[in-house]
Amino acid sequence: MADGTGGGRSSGLPLSPSLRQVRIVASLSSAERRLPPLGRGATPFWFLLPALLVTAGVVLVPVAQTIWLSLQDYLLYDPDNARFVGLGNFAKIARDEVFWISLGQSFIWIVGVVGLQFLLGLVAALLLNQSFWWRGLARSLVIIPWALPSVIIGLMWTWMYDFNLGVINDVAMRFGLIAAPIAWLARPDTALYAIMLALVWQGFPFFAVTILAGLQTVPAELYEAAEIDGATPRQQLFHVTLPAIADVIATALLLRTIWVANSLDVILVMTGGGPGYATHTLPLYAFLRASSSMEFGYGAALALILTALLLGVVFLYVRRAARGIEA
Amino acid sequence: MERRTFIKLAGATALASPLARPAIAQGTTTVRWWYHFDNPQHSPAELVAKFEAANPGIKIQAESIPWGGGNDYQTRLFAAIVAGNAPDCAMVRLSWAARFQQMKALAPLDDLIAGWAGRSDIADNIWKINKGADGKQYYLPLQYVVLYLYYRQDLFEQAGLKPPATFEDFRSAAMALTKADVSGFGLRGGAGGFDHWGPFVLGGGANFEKGGMVSDKALAANRWFVDLTIKDKVVPASAPTDSFRQIVDSFKAGRTAMTIHHVGSANEIVGVLGDKVSAVPVPRGPDGKGWTYFGDESNAVFSASKAREAAFKWCAFLSTAENNVVLNKFTGQLPIATSAAKDWTLHPKRFVDASAASLPIAASLPDSPKTPDFIARIWPANMQRALLGQIQPDEMMRAIEQHFHG
Repeated sequence: MADGTGGGRSSGLPLSPSLRQVRIVASLSSAERRLPPLGRGATPFWFLLPALLVTAGVVLVPVAQTIWLSLQDYLLYDPDNARFVGLGNFAKIARDEVFWISLGQSFIWIVGVVGLQFLLGLVAALLLNQSFWWRGLARSLVIIPWALPSVIIGLMWTWMYDFNLGVINDVAMRFGLIAAPIAWLARPDTALYAIMLALVWQGFPFFAVTILAGLQTVPAELYEAAEIDGATPRQQLFHVTLPAIADVIATALLLRTIWVANSLDVILVMTGGGPGYATHTLPLYAFLRASSSMEFGYGAALALILTALLLGVVFLYVRRAARGIEA
Repeated sequence: MERRTFIKLAGATALASPLARPAIAQGTTTVRWWYHFDNPQHSPAELVAKFEAANPGIKIQAESIPWGGGNDYQTRLFAAIVAGNAPDCAMVRLSWAARFQQMKALAPLDDLIAGWAGRSDIADNIWKINKGADGKQYYLPLQYVVLYLYYRQDLFEQAGLKPPATFEDFRSAAMALTKADVSGFGLRGGAGGFDHWGPFVLGGGANFEKGGMVSDKALAANRWFVDLTIKDKVVPASAPTDSFRQIVDSFKAGRTAMTIHHVGSANEIVGVLGDKVSAVPVPRGPDGKGWTYFGDESNAVFSASKAREAAFKWCAFLSTAENNVVLNKFTGQLPIATSAAKDWTLHPKRFVDASAASLPIAASLPDSPKTPDFIARIWPANMQRALLGQIQPDEMMRAIEQHFHG
């Protein structure tokens, strides 16, 4: 029966050459018969074409445009006098003090924010994985910071940190932790860390929820076996739980690194990059040069550098995601 | 067959729908107008309805654009012009004029203004300030504010002080009024703070001409200004990043004894402090020179507009006495029409008087394509670094000089 339903390729049953020919001819429509073998093989690509065209329109064209812009001295208010400068913008960036400051701070920003979000998220997920009577409510509440818009978070924390009226100074003074109010966002030594704390608060629920989902897939038998072997809770965490959810953690870390590296909204709302350049990060600097200065060529070159730096992380993420699909 | 019929019908309907529009729409001109009000709850619907009733052939499509300290509005406007999707007319500032000129984005309005009855109701010097570099009129003035000095009358009286008229009076008063939880001066070092720096540094001898930021006088004036923070310590510790909201709230909360802003915040401040607050023009420098920021707002019609005359009609309507009054109720600024300003009651008189008394020293920033970047990036970054002692005050002035003159 297998050979009679067009399954000759998979059935593996031997067919006589003449019978095989008759079967193939019968199964092809007249249009298909006219197509060369390549045309037939290309059919799936025709189905993919609309999606490819949309992707090209919304991703590839802007990327190509950004690359083209980065090679020009392009001022938004003076587009007629745009001129090709080759790698001139990149050479200028290499000599730009603010770029190097922003790059260094981007590094602190990404490592600090993602690292702390992960640690806090892991602790929250482990707690939420325990059973207690209001666990459902706790799981809903923990998602709130993640659900708030970034601009609201920026404004909220700006007022919490406010020098004169902020609740953080007020509480710290009442508890005797500080003698006088601190201008958290106006001091170069505290401003970046103050914003990082706000972003840690916003982003840890992502890790908490992702890790929690991972924890629920760890088979209970593993813990039972570990317990029988006399493993302490700490040993269970490091030798059972974490290895079992390592894939989830790695994916979450990569994804969040890309998002945090790109995020500038909270900084923009809270300090606009100040005081001075104390809270400048690379995406913020690119945005300011493109938006305030309207130097689209220079801004595009800065954005491309950020993209190039992130490509390594993106590559790791895509490889991991592709592995998931293949599996 | 059924599916084919459906597709045919749907196609035919889609093709026919433009033809099915009511005939009345053919004679209507739509004018797209971009505006911003500080309070987003305010809407110009009342003015639009009045205008449309009086001009049946014109429909106004008023689009509220977020201000974002000026940067958001400005960037969107320029991006829309480059993309070929600019509105017909929009609220604009003088400091953007040079960039508009460079793009040839504006339509001259001289012929239309000449035939407009409301022309004489706007003071000649206002027309002069708003004239383009080529002598043509591109801006139709709409409203204005002038920055002045708010001061706490009660604290000044208790300390036996008079409102300051000179820089030195100002410094002495700020020092005398600075206590443990009160700072003498609520300095704005964050976004938009150039209007606190200008009175003391531009008023003290600096200017935007070549070499004007690095002359001995200019450098000395800037050092004096930075010293208010670093040596005299008469400003709050948060001053380097304080912006509009912080300076107004600190002043309202009694944490500062003086600050600089305009009539737009008068009602809010009086609502909390009542008679304890008053205003005078900003103090003048050692040679009697002074400078304060003239915060202008005009409407302009874009050269790409296909509805130039209709757009002008709408802009002229907004600058006409009684409509100008209604508009300024929404914006909290001062009407440009002389007849509307006469019996102005929307702000306490002492603040309107302080605005008028400040006019002789009021000026706008230079008409240069580099001015918006000076306001948004160069000034705040360098000022904040100077206030924090990260750079010397003179380095800040050199950075500004370099920005404008290379």
